[in-house]
Amino acid sequence: MDTMMPKRFIESSLQSLTHAQSHPLQLNQQGFQQANNIEVHPQAARLRLPPLTLKPRHVETMVAAVDTSTIKIGETNAGILIAIRGAAVWKESRNYRYTRLGPFVFHITEENKRDVYQTLERAYFSPSAGHDHYGCPGLWQMPTRMASLLERWLQTMLAKTVDKGLLLFDGSLTAGTPDTSVHLLKEILSTARSRSSLILAFSKMTTLRVNGRLITDLPSDFKSPYLLEMEGLKLKPPTVLLGDVYVAKLAHGGYAFRLDIDREATVEQRVWSVEKLLTNDLLLQGYPETLRLAHILCTFTANEVIAMQHFTTRKYGLRIVNRPDMHSLLFGPFGKGECYA
Amino acid sequence: MKLYKKEGNIVQILSFPNESAEKGNYLLVEDSEAGRALIVQVIDVQFASIPGVLEELLRSLPDGGEFLQGEDFDPLEIAPHITYIQDASLLVCKIRATVENNNLSPSSSWLPSRSQSVIKKLPISNLLKLADVNGKFPIVLGGTRESSLLTIDASALDGGLNIITGKKGTGKSHLSKLLMLNLVGYKATVVVFDLNGEYLSLGVSADDKRNAYYDKVHVLTPGQNFKVALKQLNLSVVLGILVHALHLPGTSAREFKRIWQSLKERDMLTLRELGEAIRNLNCNQHVRDALASRYHSLMNSGFFTDNVAESAALEECLFRAKEQGGAVVVNLRNTSSIDRQIVVEYVLGKLVDSLTNWKLRATFLFAEEAHLYLRETYWDDIVTRMRHFGIFTTFITNQPDTIRENIYRQADNIFLFNFTNEHDLDVVSRAARVDAETVRSIARDLPPQYCLALGKVVHDFPMVVKVKALDVKTMGETRLFFKDAG
Repeated sequence: MDTMMPKRFIESSLQSLTHAQSHPLQLNQQGFQQANNIEVHPQAARLRLPPLTLKPRHVETMVAAVDTSTIKIGETNAGILIAIRGAAVWKESRNYRYTRLGPFVFHITEENKRDVYQTLERAYFSPSAGHDHYGCPGLWQMPTRMASLLERWLQTMLAKTVDKGLLLFDGSLTAGTPDTSVHLLKEILSTARSRSSLILAFSKMTTLRVNGRLITDLPSDFKSPYLLEMEGLKLKPPTVLLGDVYVAKLAHGGYAFRLDIDREATVEQRVWSVEKLLTNDLLLQGYPETLRLAHILCTFTANEVIAMQHFTTRKYGLRIVNRPDMHSLLFGPFGKGECYA
Repeated sequence: MKLYKKEGNIVQILSFPNESAEKGNYLLVEDSEAGRALIVQVIDVQFASIPGVLEELLRSLPDGGEFLQGEDFDPLEIAPHITYIQDASLLVCKIRATVENNNLSPSSSWLPSRSQSVIKKLPISNLLKLADVNGKFPIVLGGTRESSLLTIDASALDGGLNIITGKKGTGKSHLSKLLMLNLVGYKATVVVFDLNGEYLSLGVSADDKRNAYYDKVHVLTPGQNFKVALKQLNLSVVLGILVHALHLPGTSAREFKRIWQSLKERDMLTLRELGEAIRNLNCNQHVRDALASRYHSLMNSGFFTDNVAESAALEECLFRAKEQGGAVVVNLRNTSSIDRQIVVEYVLGKLVDSLTNWKLRATFLFAEEAHLYLRETYWDDIVTRMRHFGIFTTFITNQPDTIRENIYRQADNIFLFNFTNEHDLDVVSRAARVDAETVRSIARDLPPQYCLALGKVVHDFPMVVKVKALDVKTMGETRLFFKDAG
């Protein structure tokens, strides 16, 4: 397995923390998990009826999923202290197993953000890859962008190692965005196809609407499980869709989710894959358990945030300072904190 | 350790896994700027309420209750920090005193600095020095959990009311023997009501040899070496036996008084003459029958005799004990309930009599399961009137609810062994010298042989002690069917 990416993560993490030693640390109460994918509001989009009815297909297939998470654990007077973690979960022979990477803790400042980001990016993209270059993200976009790098690397590793499996991604198959280059996503999809695997990307939240209503909220009397294909989606360049978009309701009484399936796969392959998913994974509330576990395993708990603050103060001697909350200071009981601003 | 919260006289201290503290431990919360320190005692150890712990635990059990198998690549080694935070504990502590210029005061009205206070363990040996617990008459109770000795002063038992309680098999009798023998060592007079014959061999060591107390332990077995001649009895003692132990009605008691005085005037106070006098009494048939039945009870007890020579045992023993210290063990084993009450009425009456006439200075009375032989009115008598005469009682029981609430309130010292039953703990927690939380929390977790000492003996600093072993022959063990099997 290519371990360049995790190595670079460790090196960059340690380097950034070493340079943070002289900075006092402001503990941050407001964490953030990974941001939602950017979506546009396409015109003239519609759902094709009737839906594709699904029948559970009993073929033993490996189901694997990837997710990453990031959280801000504090602020220094020069930048922010963040943590990133990724998890890959797979189900084989009725057992779930996982590999979890991290947490990687970074001290990101205006001064080091370019170095940190480019070091990680270079570790992943070969110079010949010709990926879309969006430059270095702003300080506040760094956590999600760095988490995206780790996520794409984990996705690539799964695509390279799983044969005839179902690879579940969190989010969509939209490319050409700042954190997902078209080239990169195409390569991941193609690698998976070459090993007879298929990528299914589940979005927990979507902004796609039909007739003004969210596609996952549209009323339907169809008997689940089913897929409703979305037609007429056109995104503004350079954003492109590398998958076809469906509304998937996979369990009776469960929720409907946006599901992106590799565009290169035939309709039969897509339906078969989702039918295999029905029998090879638990679908609680209509969401695959493997993907849920990946999310749970990488999400940071409050306990872990305290532990990382403990780690950075103990190991790197960061001094904790309490910066007053300006909202509380100015507005007293009417100031609900910066996150409500 | 960090000071987290103070509410009333309870403080909560955050403790990390490398800082071990157990229930019963003492901590010193030192605020050097204020020049004062709080002495607090851990009464409960809880998990600290760390946010996100529930998620952490749920995360590890997502698969139908089975642990999720996997590999963690944790290059910065943050996992130990997570478990360190997760295993942090909250010590719920009771404020016992404030130390200022090496002086102790019971104050808990000040607030030490949360950020500046230094919290450290206060070894029991240091606390004993601070509290000046050692005295002129040391009794080593045993070892503390820190392996130091807990020594109390025998004078703290003097003039007091003590209770030794705990569930069966936790070591109550063992402690009472230890206290008794030490008191005897200081030439005190001790009287024991021995219900199960547990104290009979106090003068014999475990290897069946005579020990230092052999000549000081006097066992009196009613009906055998312990008999009473009517001539030696005061009317008040006999009436006490008849009315309280044998429930003789008032009218009959008046008739008995007349008979007694008549026989005494004629110097004819013998069992035979008393029987004759009752038989020939010219009075109501019911009164005569009542007196006759009580007379037969006295006769059947085997406790009374007309032979004055064999009836001086108690006085002799008390006299010897007065001179060189000693324990008079009244063996109530194999004695019927009525006979037990007769003997106890007699002994207590005799003690009051001897103390009133200054034949005795003071007596330490050890009463095991006293509810089985002590009449209702004696409880109050013992803790009030008899105390003034110089009878200082130690009650030993495994049924704390058999001792009245007012006894607990007036107890000077309580030696509390393990109890798990909430009701029992509730009863004991009514004692005036201790707070209910301490009793409930610490006593529940005491291992066998460990006791929580409360009251004057420890200067109101509750202390957990493992009662030291005694080299005396064990008696009163439960007879077991399966003892030699397996």
